Amino acid sequence: MDFIKTVALPRYAEYNCTFRYILEKGLDVKYLLQPPLTQHTLEIGAKYSPDFVCTPFKTTLGSMIEALEAGADTLIMIFGLCKLGYYGELQEQILRDLGYKFDCINFSDFDTGRKKDYIRGLKRINPKMSFAKFAVAGMEAIKMGDYLDEITGEYYKNYGFAQDRKAYQHAYKAFLRDMYAAGSKSDIEEGYRRAKDAMSRIPLDKPLKPLRVGVIGEFYTAMDAFSNLETEQKLADMGVEVHRWMTATNRVIHYPGETNLNVKIQEYCRYEMGPTSTANIWSAKTYAEKGFDGIVHIKSANCTPEIDIMPVLQNIGNDYKIPILYLTFDAQTSDVGLMTRLEAFYDMIAMRKKVIV
Amino acid sequence: MEQITVGIPRGLLYFRYRTVWKTLFKELGFKVIVSEPTTQETADIGSALTVDEGCLAQKLFFGHVSSLVGRCDYIFIPRIRNYGKSRELCVRFMALYDMAVNMFRGSGQKFLTYSVDEWKSVSEKESVLELAKTLDLPTKRVKAAYKTAVKADEERQKELLQKQSERLKRNGLKILIAAHSYVIEDNFVGKPITEYLKKSGAVPIRADVVDRDSAFKKSLELSSTCKWTVNQEIMSGILSYEDRVDGIILLSTFPCGQDAMVNELILRRVGDMPMLNLVVDGQSGTAGLETRLESFLDIIRFKKGAL
Ligand code: SF4
Ligand code: SF4
Repeated sequence: MDFIKTVALPRYAEYNCTFRYILEKGLDVKYLLQPPLTQHTLEIGAKYSPDFVCTPFKTTLGSMIEALEAGADTLIMIFGLCKLGYYGELQEQILRDLGYKFDCINFSDFDTGRKKDYIRGLKRINPKMSFAKFAVAGMEAIKMGDYLDEITGEYYKNYGFAQDRKAYQHAYKAFLRDMYAAGSKSDIEEGYRRAKDAMSRIPLDKPLKPLRVGVIGEFYTAMDAFSNLETEQKLADMGVEVHRWMTATNRVIHYPGETNLNVKIQEYCRYEMGPTSTANIWSAKTYAEKGFDGIVHIKSANCTPEIDIMPVLQNIGNDYKIPILYLTFDAQTSDVGLMTRLEAFYDMIAMRKKVIV
Repeated sequence: MEQITVGIPRGLLYFRYRTVWKTLFKELGFKVIVSEPTTQETADIGSALTVDEGCLAQKLFFGHVSSLVGRCDYIFIPRIRNYGKSRELCVRFMALYDMAVNMFRGSGQKFLTYSVDEWKSVSEKESVLELAKTLDLPTKRVKAAYKTAVKADEERQKELLQKQSERLKRNGLKILIAAHSYVIEDNFVGKPITEYLKKSGAVPIRADVVDRDSAFKKSLELSSTCKWTVNQEIMSGILSYEDRVDGIILLSTFPCGQDAMVNELILRRVGDMPMLNLVVDGQSGTAGLETRLESFLDIIRFKKGAL
């Protein structure tokens, strides 16, 4: 029998269910899901990383170590804009220097802008891959990603108002489990419908004008609940309707493109200032225009592009008189400290709402 | 007609492009002023203006911008994104212009800019022409000015390489400094370090002074996916000069994540060479680094049997 690879990628929010689907259904390899991110993951990652690199580098390095410890023999490094495109080569070097033996498929090696090179990358995962099969699984995985972002969005908007919060959370968790287990398109569809049903059956006590907060920020940390110490859940717990446009599917698959978005924010910036900058500035402005009560900007320590949009966000905050809470996360960020800041922010926006209404 | 004054901040890409920019604007009939060399005050003003978390090089840059506000018709801040796929600059250079406009929007100061994004087929030449259009300058004249500017820059680069090979022939310990031009040449950051080396009888060599055309290809020997042009040049410099130097100083500003990554790789891959990783921050500048430099030189001398 042929040797079947056991492939892993770092943990990234809940998107690993889509990675799993593509790899197993589209490329016929075995996918290994390492344990969820914990403080320990981040600590081992940070221990072997250069100090000043942005935090997702450290988190994903830790997650790769946990994957290798759990038995993965192949690691996939993804490519991307900004420093992300250089994560892979350095992480591989660090892991090799630590003595790990594994096959490394680094998509930055194939990131030339030419389609045939990306296909070469896929063939590295499985030389016998069928492109047709991959395309079908890819489309289905994208659908899964869309559902995931939709249900997650709904969850954080409504959790704080559910009459039975426990049941609401239970329905969301069950949906995640379904997506991680899905083996076919119909599994995905059924899981989605089940979640929709279950969540809509739980009555909400939502005031006419609830407190609404828009979350914006960096690609990894704003989406990954572990990395932002569950900021969204904490806000939802306080009874806030939490919105976030910045999701993997919105930014990567359905992105309206920098020029489209840029037209809408031209009074603030002339250029695309960074990989997620346009979308975040546009989101912030949209939340402000829609009368949201506050904005939370989430980034990892040392995230260059998100640091650089802060002067723009400050101007939006001043122009629309909307409070913006700036949060930076690294291995040392304490849960208690975060809670204190979120509570103070909540008190402030709740107070303003009373005065304004 | 009153002559238009263009102010150029003496920070970041100024050190790479000064000849191009100064020649270009002078040829176009502008008066060019450049902010004064960096001092502790520049660092303090820049730090007060910017978010704490930015890199020192950026803080210094905005210190320079601030010193030009109100002193010129335009402050020139281009946006340079890449010279093609895998030939990028730090993402920070995408943002500088818009940052400045947002930071100083109440001041009435006007800014000039152009954007280079060759991956999307926008070259430096085209963007210069675009800029000139907004100033109502005749295309023909701009083309000629740009040509002169490019020529002058080629001369300057030749001269830099010439000086480098002279330095390589000198006696004394040769120390290769791997740093961005705005780090090594800055009065507050790199200067004190090169001065110290000279005073101690060592010869500083610059890793970023290389033949730029062949740098990318050469750098692949050290790192196959590094997409930052300047870091590619520095890596190709390390490969070209490592046989002729006695030690390497990796010099960056606090807290530059990009250099941190590349330097980590260099430390892990360049074998058998004394290396010192120096990070300069805005509060202490280079004070306190002297002891580290001194012991680094001692180690090298000891290794060479000269102590
Ligand atoms: S966007 Fe921020 S976190 Fe992501 S690679 Fe760039 S600097 Fe790092
Ligand atoms: S490369 Fe580093 S020092 Fe240079 S601008 Fe970017 S973050 Fe700052």
